[in-house]
Amino acid sequence: MGIVSTLDVAAPREVAVVRAPVGRRRVIGGLTIVLGLFVMLAFGFGSLAGAHSQFTFTPVNTSSGAPWNLAPLTVLTRWWNLGLGLLTVGLGVETWIRRPAGALVRFGLGGVLFFIALLLWATRQPGPSPVSSLNFTSVLIGSLSIAMVLIYGSLSGVLCERSGVVNIAIEGQFIGGALAGAMVDSVTNSFWLAALVGIVVGGLIGWLLALFAVRYVADQIVVGVVLVTLMSSISSYLNIQVLAPYPNLNVGNQPSNVALPLLSKIPIIGPALFNETVFFYAAGALVALISFGLFRTRWGLRVRAVGEHPKAAESVGINVARVRYTTVILGGAVAGLGGVAFIAIQGQFQPGITSGLGYIALAAMIFGKWKPSGAVVASLLFGVSAYLVDALQNENVPIPTEFMTMFPYVVTIAVVAGLIGRVRPPASDGVPYHRD
Amino acid sequence: MSELSTTPTPSPSPAPPATTPPRHNWWARYNATSPVTLTVLALILGVVIGAVIITVTSAPVLDSWRHSFHHVGSFAGTLKLTFDTVAAAYRAMVTGSILDPTLFVHAITTGHGWSQTLTPLSETLTYATPLVIASIGVGIAFQTGIFNIGANGQAILGAIVGTAVASMIHLPMIWHLPLTLVAGVVGGAVCGLVPGALKAYTGAHEVIVTLMFNYVINAILIYALTSTALQLPGQSNDISRNFDSTATLNPLFGTKSGLRVSYGIFVAAAVVVFAVWFLKRSSLGFDFRVTGANPHAARASGINPKTIVLAVFLVSGGLAGLAGVVQAASTTHYIDGGFLIGSAGIGFTAITIALLGRLQPVGIVWGSLLFAALGVGGRAMQAATGIPLDLATIIQSVVVLFVASPVLITEIFRLRSRAQSFQLANKGWGS
Repeated sequence: MGIVSTLDVAAPREVAVVRAPVGRRRVIGGLTIVLGLFVMLAFGFGSLAGAHSQFTFTPVNTSSGAPWNLAPLTVLTRWWNLGLGLLTVGLGVETWIRRPAGALVRFGLGGVLFFIALLLWATRQPGPSPVSSLNFTSVLIGSLSIAMVLIYGSLSGVLCERSGVVNIAIEGQFIGGALAGAMVDSVTNSFWLAALVGIVVGGLIGWLLALFAVRYVADQIVVGVVLVTLMSSISSYLNIQVLAPYPNLNVGNQPSNVALPLLSKIPIIGPALFNETVFFYAAGALVALISFGLFRTRWGLRVRAVGEHPKAAESVGINVARVRYTTVILGGAVAGLGGVAFIAIQGQFQPGITSGLGYIALAAMIFGKWKPSGAVVASLLFGVSAYLVDALQNENVPIPTEFMTMFPYVVTIAVVAGLIGRVRPPASDGVPYHRD
Repeated sequence: MSELSTTPTPSPSPAPPATTPPRHNWWARYNATSPVTLTVLALILGVVIGAVIITVTSAPVLDSWRHSFHHVGSFAGTLKLTFDTVAAAYRAMVTGSILDPTLFVHAITTGHGWSQTLTPLSETLTYATPLVIASIGVGIAFQTGIFNIGANGQAILGAIVGTAVASMIHLPMIWHLPLTLVAGVVGGAVCGLVPGALKAYTGAHEVIVTLMFNYVINAILIYALTSTALQLPGQSNDISRNFDSTATLNPLFGTKSGLRVSYGIFVAAAVVVFAVWFLKRSSLGFDFRVTGANPHAARASGINPKTIVLAVFLVSGGLAGLAGVVQAASTTHYIDGGFLIGSAGIGFTAITIALLGRLQPVGIVWGSLLFAALGVGGRAMQAATGIPLDLATIIQSVVVLFVASPVLITEIFRLRSRAQSFQLANKGWGS
């Protein structure tokens, strides 16, 4: 066996991976330093000494009843960006020296600082931008709403792949959940029912994936790709055949926000974090629940055992097929709920409305090292970048946003290739299991 | 562990010993489950599921069913309406993608209207051309045990580079057209080289990298199309300059014929011949197949896996890039922001066609023709009956799902001998 595995293409690398992380963390630290220096040079010294940017903090939607009215904060762009850059450099230096386990998290934090600096630079006055001020709370709210959808998707991925089934059909489950959610909510006017049906539809797509991948040992990647195609064509078909002639099936209700008492009154972050739809809070609860379930319960141990070494799991009496079935259905249900959450933000359903968010969620899951907590951090980071792409495009800020569109994918490739850090999937992720 | 294997996977339950059925016995042959039988059965299932979808989403049909539950006599009429609705859709699909018998008879008897009669066939061939090329590229990679999910991105980059050469350089056709096609190959190969090199030198899993790379390329497409170099002058949209007329694949029967089928089919034919030769006769192709069949044996016999990975991605990406530039050069003569994006993404269809054709060049040609016919027929169906062309994509997806799991088909149709379970390399991300 040992001889055989050294013949493998990736095998020499695998050996190195075991002791690699410490060195990798140094690389991450270095990259964070470079990021900080870039911020200082491009966004700091890149803006005129007298240029200033303006932050506003009052939420546009005041339903949270924010009792405060913070005055806009006008800052000197150059000095603030130099400060943000220095902070990033500091993070990098700390990572370089201490090589902490949370190196990627620090890199992610550096990324967020980078985006704030970018925004400051983009909206500086006098400058090329028609936008003269930056509503910080709006940026936060917008980013969080995308991040929430990504969290649902990446949690779904974590569940499926921890049990050894690759789920690249997250996008399809999003579409299914969104379509079902929009229709059910339009008819019943109840987002609770919509969520329930979304869960069922997502679970059904998960069941299909499990049926083909586990029972009929079809290739999981092919099945995933086909399920996405299938769901997107079904949604487009139904849109023409059903939603267009019956517009009352797609009225585009949006659930009202639930403001948590006191917490929602916290300046700046209150309206973003504690005046949200139930879906937002549910996402938070799911992260805790799945984290706990996977790493602190017997069920979670079984799921992870099946994903790492199904043969060993079977030898201690675990039914591999059944564990994979239930976990993949559960994962599908989570992504289906994510689809409902998405349509709750967007309102009306249109074909193609998810626009590849499922694949960003997949990237977030990988970037988050197949862990719920990592998925949250990655989702937040990718949520910010995805929101900024939209916002900058809508407000005609003269930056080539194409490069920011690439951001989630590029960092995910870098992580997979071990260029920054190294992620390791569950050992049997994507490998069908035969009892023999 | 089984990083690079296409070893046939045993079906979950032990298969009874395969017996060669007597040739004259129709039933025994039906039970023998050849790849063709399986594909036909999958297609039948797809068509049946499509019929169900048409029925349950068509308002008049549904109303009629509701009515027939209250009025006993109208049941036969309801059945007839259901049948007619479904039949009209599928008739439009067949006549719109292959041949309309009435037009054909008219053309034969009067000698006029040949162009109209041949249009469906011409469209199907036009759609099939890039599909054949891209699918063969994906199939060659699959045969080596490499999953190239990035064919779409490679095709787009090939088209970008090809468009740049076709629109910014001016040469006589004898140089310009080949140069454009070569530019497409180079673009696709470069795009394939990135995941190839990452896999060979860092062990990054090619499925993740190629999947993510598709989206990177989508962004690059928009960037390129809004750059001053490639953007159509005077436009602010994401649309490229037009191909020079010396760089296009012209219609086979001239522009006046109205038939779009172009010289591109010769490119596709050349690719098929190349692929057959490459896989069966060339030494590199042999190394590819050995690596796919048993990577350990390949390595033990002195085949360098890194070289193979790089070569596979060069060939596979190059062919995908060629498909992209052929698509642009034979139909639109420009590319825009929607090029190969979404349902038009030939790279994703190529994955399924490669599977449908069992990775063999000739099988892939048939698979491409089938998918192209479904796509073209879907358009005709939408025009004739108003049923959305997405039905064709639904049928395609269903067919592939069934073909990917032959065991399911043998269960549904109760075939006696188990399907020789053809399986792609089941590749884990964890391997």
